[in-house]
Amino acid sequence: MSTITRDTVPAISVTNLSHAFKGHQALSQVTFCVMPQTLHGFVGPNGAGKTTTLKAICTLLKPNWGEVEVFGHSVRNDSVAVRRRIGFMPDHFSMYRQMTVFEYLDFFAAAYGLPVRQRDTVIHDVLTLTDMEGRRDDLISGLSRGMQQRVSLARVLVHDPDLLLLDEPASGLDPRARIELMEILRELRRMGKTVFISSHILSELAELCDSVTIIDRGQIKFSGPMEILLESPDEKPLYNLKLATISETAMQRIKELPGVETVSEPEFATGRDYNIQLAPATSANEFLRQLLTLDLSITSFSQQRRHLNQAFMDLTTRGVRT
Amino acid sequence: MISGVTTLFSWTLKTDSKSVYPHIVRAGFAGAMLFAISMSFTEVFGTGSMGLRFFELVCTLNVLIITVSGISYFVTAVTEEKDAGTYALLRLAGMNSLSITLGKSTSRLVSSLMLLVIQMPFTFLSITLGGVLWNQIVAAYLALAAWMILVANLALFCSVRCATSGRAAGLAATIIGVFVFLPRISSAFLGAISPGLLSTGTIAFLESIPAVCSKISVFDRLAEILGLTSGFKMLGIDFSTGLTTISTASIKGAVSIVAGQFWSSLLMALVLFVISTLTLDFWSAPADSAGPSENKIVRRWAVGRCWELSVAWKEFLFFTGGRTFAIAKLLAGGLAFAGFRMFQELDGYSDGLALRGDYSWWAFLTFVMTLTAEVLLYSSGCLFYEVRQQTQSTLATVPISSVRILVEKFAGCAIALIPAIAWIFITLILSDGTIVRNCSVTMVSSYLIMLGFASHLAALLSLYARWAALPLTILLAMPAFFCMAAPILGLTAVTSVFARSHNIEVTLLLSGIINLFWTWMFVLLPLQIWIRDRWIALSQQ
Repeated sequence: MSTITRDTVPAISVTNLSHAFKGHQALSQVTFCVMPQTLHGFVGPNGAGKTTTLKAICTLLKPNWGEVEVFGHSVRNDSVAVRRRIGFMPDHFSMYRQMTVFEYLDFFAAAYGLPVRQRDTVIHDVLTLTDMEGRRDDLISGLSRGMQQRVSLARVLVHDPDLLLLDEPASGLDPRARIELMEILRELRRMGKTVFISSHILSELAELCDSVTIIDRGQIKFSGPMEILLESPDEKPLYNLKLATISETAMQRIKELPGVETVSEPEFATGRDYNIQLAPATSANEFLRQLLTLDLSITSFSQQRRHLNQAFMDLTTRGVRT
Repeated sequence: MISGVTTLFSWTLKTDSKSVYPHIVRAGFAGAMLFAISMSFTEVFGTGSMGLRFFELVCTLNVLIITVSGISYFVTAVTEEKDAGTYALLRLAGMNSLSITLGKSTSRLVSSLMLLVIQMPFTFLSITLGGVLWNQIVAAYLALAAWMILVANLALFCSVRCATSGRAAGLAATIIGVFVFLPRISSAFLGAISPGLLSTGTIAFLESIPAVCSKISVFDRLAEILGLTSGFKMLGIDFSTGLTTISTASIKGAVSIVAGQFWSSLLMALVLFVISTLTLDFWSAPADSAGPSENKIVRRWAVGRCWELSVAWKEFLFFTGGRTFAIAKLLAGGLAFAGFRMFQELDGYSDGLALRGDYSWWAFLTFVMTLTAEVLLYSSGCLFYEVRQQTQSTLATVPISSVRILVEKFAGCAIALIPAIAWIFITLILSDGTIVRNCSVTMVSSYLIMLGFASHLAALLSLYARWAALPLTILLAMPAFFCMAAPILGLTAVTSVFARSHNIEVTLLLSGIINLFWTWMFVLLPLQIWIRDRWIALSQQ
């Protein structure tokens, strides 16, 4: 991953984006940015405005207010330049099902203006990347959903875009296909692509993404690095301690250590796990040094991070938007 | 089963009543009534049979709309489920074959029959206008209703039999075309061949075709009801079987309200419905197998590599049928030409490859009608197919402007028209001059303008009214033709006067250019802008 400096042009820059459909405010003052060569998650409940934002970024929608730039090109004034640098995969399977995989990719490569010779190489490359080379002469209609998703991803890559916009790419896929898709996305990031991924599968996003934006009811609730979101800055840090053996006196002994506020067992206790909260003045290093003096057989000691699910629930509002 | 049928039936009726477009179709029918009254008024004012002419026009319009609806609206009853991949869901919901065929086809039939019912009070006006009696009106509407039921069930059969709506429309159009033209062709063939050339059994079989078709022909029945001695004509062509018996009583309006055509049509419809229901499961394969051959060698030749004009390539190969279908059309045109040539030979005229007289004129009209049908089918389908496949948003993100996408789509369809255009020119070249004598410049330019207008209208309506676009186009194009014909004729006359006074010799060319220009400027360009805007709006949804 290249170093991001102050002068780096964001891959996506959305500023005060607002849009209304027939009096219904879909987006309101949406502002966030995505740095190049990162994997950015875009999360929100149904009807939050994710697809509207994505459409605005990929030039399909002219927003009522605000500005969207892709690598410094305005989607409003320079849509052709934007389209050359993005690859958009919509949330539904919009494919020409009567074509073969090769014909489908050949069509889009030609639409992007690639000459015939270059098309052969590019199609071979994208099919290899998506592990679909063996199915190049198969009709799209005969492919499984997971394979169609791979072909859709290959289509997005034929013109070697710098930014991939993926709207719910894993929806409807079985666990294996989902894992494989995530692997491909990691590979794309390694290749230097910026991936903007809208998804409901939060656990996978947490593992995959460098940064995340949470949108709810047309408004941005959070946008920034994943670590910051998962740190839960308003709360005192909570640590997990796991012991190798069950010790009846361990809890009491830990409680007696200086700087410890509370010690409790988690909900599904095994007798070897403890949740520990330290006093604000006590550092984790200092506590660990003292813990080692107790001569307990420690398996692991880590800070408990907030799960993305929890962050999502905390930031978004219950119920369907009306 | 009953609850399934009623659910499907009421749901379709509710959707129909809530949607704005069926109401536009009904309003279109009301407009067509007004048009028919105006036409009959201008044609036969003061002759005493204005009501008859008015009613004849209404019947013509109805037959045309019902027939086109069969090809476009009714045929999608089951194929729309196959196209959307929801057929299996209907079966999972516990619906059996009968529930599906009843629920899906009856609702469309009922809403279409409503169109006939709402017309009746207006058409009783023709009694006041003179020349027609109430029993003729009731008899004609029963004949039309029977024809609609027959067409709807034929379309249902095609919808069950075929995997896609496009194929079903093609099959329905072929069957209706064979039904309409076979009696005339077999009669002409029997009249043209030398005695003794065919066996008695074959001759008896060929002679029986017009008689059988006449029993269910709505054209014959309407000619009988209205006492039309010259047959029932649409767009100047007589579609009757030639066996219509016009009695003095029917000319005076004394006709039976229900005749054999009514019962035989209902019987045929019932047979088709039963076959459709019984074979529904057998032909219920999803629509995925459409497209060029799956054989790799055939496909490599048939499809090839994508052109630089990628959208044109896609349209030509995957919408219009591509090279193989174009060659098939070229060969079919050759067969049709050879058929006319053979009839001419049997008639005793041998003139090398050339066609003469009526043979050249009918061959020319056949190819022109084929071209017209192709243009209307392509224009009403090419944008709609993209919308139905939900691929327009993907297409909108490639760095090609919407205008270029639409122009390339037009280009792809235009390539598919080459066989029909080629045969028009071949017929023109091999004609003895009859075609040139029969065609005036005004007629040709009017045809081209109307074709351009109708194709634009069909493309636009397909983005709103889906499968109803084609009948709606015909409904709107007919009155529009007369609105546009007046300025065309007027401008031609003004140009002629102007050219004469300024000693300009190319009068016809000048008037043609002027007419094409104003039509493009004031009619086609606004439609093009509307199509583009609607296309962009749909891409954003």
